[in-house]
Amino acid sequence: VNDGAIELDKKPGKIEVSPAAIATAASRVVVECYGVVGIADRKLKHGKAELVDDSAYARGIRVSIQDGSVVVDLYIVVEYGTRISEVANNVISAVRDTLQRMLGSASIRVLVNIQGLRISS
Amino acid sequence: LGAVSERPRRVHDQCDGRQLLDLFATATAWLAAHAAEVDALNVYPVPDGDTGSNMSQTMRSALAEAEARQDMDAGGIAASLAHGALMGARGNSGVILSQLLRGIARMFDGKRTFGPSDVAAALQEASATAYRAVAKPVEGTVLSVARVAAEHAMTAAHERQDFQHVLGTAVSAGRVALRETRNQLPVLKQAGVVDAGGQGYLLLLEGALRHVQGYRDVPLAGRPERLNAARAAASEHAQVAHHGGGLGYCTEFLLIGSGLSEHQLRGEIEALGDSLLVVGDSEVLRVHIHTEDPGRALSAATLLGRLQMVKVQDMQAQHEQFAHEVPSPPPATTAGDKLPIGCVAVSSGAGFEEVFANMGAVVVPGGQTINPSTQQILDAIESCCQSAVAVLPNNHNVIATAQQAATLSHKQVEVLPTKTMPEGVAAVLAIRFDEDTGQVLEEMRAAAAAVRTIEVTTAVREADLEGLHVRKGDILGILDGTLTVAGTDTASVITDLLDTIGVGDSHVLTLYAGEEVSNEDQSLMLTTISRRYPMVLVEGARGGQPHYQYIVSVE
Repeated sequence: VNDGAIELDKKPGKIEVSPAAIATAASRVVVECYGVVGIADRKLKHGKAELVDDSAYARGIRVSIQDGSVVVDLYIVVEYGTRISEVANNVISAVRDTLQRMLGSASIRVLVNIQGLRISS
Repeated sequence: LGAVSERPRRVHDQCDGRQLLDLFATATAWLAAHAAEVDALNVYPVPDGDTGSNMSQTMRSALAEAEARQDMDAGGIAASLAHGALMGARGNSGVILSQLLRGIARMFDGKRTFGPSDVAAALQEASATAYRAVAKPVEGTVLSVARVAAEHAMTAAHERQDFQHVLGTAVSAGRVALRETRNQLPVLKQAGVVDAGGQGYLLLLEGALRHVQGYRDVPLAGRPERLNAARAAASEHAQVAHHGGGLGYCTEFLLIGSGLSEHQLRGEIEALGDSLLVVGDSEVLRVHIHTEDPGRALSAATLLGRLQMVKVQDMQAQHEQFAHEVPSPPPATTAGDKLPIGCVAVSSGAGFEEVFANMGAVVVPGGQTINPSTQQILDAIESCCQSAVAVLPNNHNVIATAQQAATLSHKQVEVLPTKTMPEGVAAVLAIRFDEDTGQVLEEMRAAAAAVRTIEVTTAVREADLEGLHVRKGDILGILDGTLTVAGTDTASVITDLLDTIGVGDSHVLTLYAGEEVSNEDQSLMLTTISRRYPMVLVEGARGGQPHYQYIVSVE
């Protein structure tokens, strides 16, 4: 449609939210989710997950629009020894709730990709 | 109303795994008895059973695994507790709790017995382990409470090698840290509560302290009406089972009479068993006891009044089932095989369960209060004889679990993201028989989307949310999952929302009464609504749902 921005229908004007803004908001939420040790590059390096710096979170968060929904793809590393399904579910609801509050009634889908597990000593 | 307690011995010097297990059992019982209060701290002022229930269930899973062990060295017990908590972790608070237990297990590793300084070190390691599992730890949560409690426990252990001193210091420091959470997180400050997870952890520490002080009780803090709630009874049940030693029979009954005395009855049957609870007033007493000889307890009681609702259960059988986490198979459906596709509906309240079952759906009990597990939903999916199955979560919080169950099944499973039970009912009603699966699902989806749902509940505390100021006891009107109206009168909250929807003569309205609403109240409400919207077809039904006085479906 346009340059990929998310449109919120607010009369009498129009608001566009860029995918980058949404990714920023999502990154803040994700790293505070329990069990998540960081955002990972969505490309594996030599078959291994690589954590990205705070400033480079865009390499592990992709925001797009599909069938009218905001789709957020997250690539994360999770602490070994946590129940991964619960951690992922918590991430999904935390990100979705935050974005829903931010964007109003937009339909939001969150896809969590566990790129790797970190084993602490 | 006091606590039923005995004070045998204080815990000294060195303890073994058996004592560690008992300590966790007491701590869990203390948490479980206060779970409803922890649930009430949820930031959203709807009584949905999150943190307290999730933490209790996680602890239950931890205990079940540790109880099944043969050997009793402390390291092994701690490892089993941690593993059980990991496998049974529910919700965010459950995951954090399982990490805390993992840290404790790490510190106990290789130890047959333990002393006070090991407890301090274990709390320290618990906190460190929990902090390591998150990129940006948020202060003002259970993490802060665990850290502060551990720091003070370490100091206390240097001062004096005494279990009571170490745990007592941890509890008082944790309490201060918990109060502080209110100032650390804006969302807590706005809602005027402390962090629920932190409160849950503090309760576990308090329970542990009570254990070393010699209490072996099933605490009854609070209001007797809570014992009436099936949920409280169920979780307490599971907890007290650990106290029995010899398991015997779990015996429960109501005693009806006049001039009844809690004290007298307790005296009569106290010696027959343990985990005794006697609560009530001079006309009705509710009694719970674990005894090898239920007959004697019942006979003693019949001398004082009339017995009602007598229930005697073999705890050995219960315990085995519990320890092996055997999920109860969902009831086989007879009507279900007539549907062109299988249908699994998550439902709470006897009325709603019946509605779904009558239409041929396999019912998984759960919803707002206790979320069903992935396994329960998966079992229900597998029990359908059809190869294609539609799952109706019927609650926002259950959708993710249902989706997870769907990925685990080999069947063709479609999760329709229904957020309320009326949406689920509409979806099942839309099933047609002469269409292909894709089309059936399409129509179910459309039918669910066309329904508007009003849910009415009572605020459990004061809060500012969604631009509304809510006082404790206010009636909350929730439209399609969003808190929309707060007021003091149930009827006006409902009619406000009906006006918001713009109810017209093409609509059919179904008013489902909750478990606490009497038939008379429901008829009055039906009359009020019919008077105001004379052109609308209004029907009443018993939903039997907990917490929500009314659920209204508008089609």
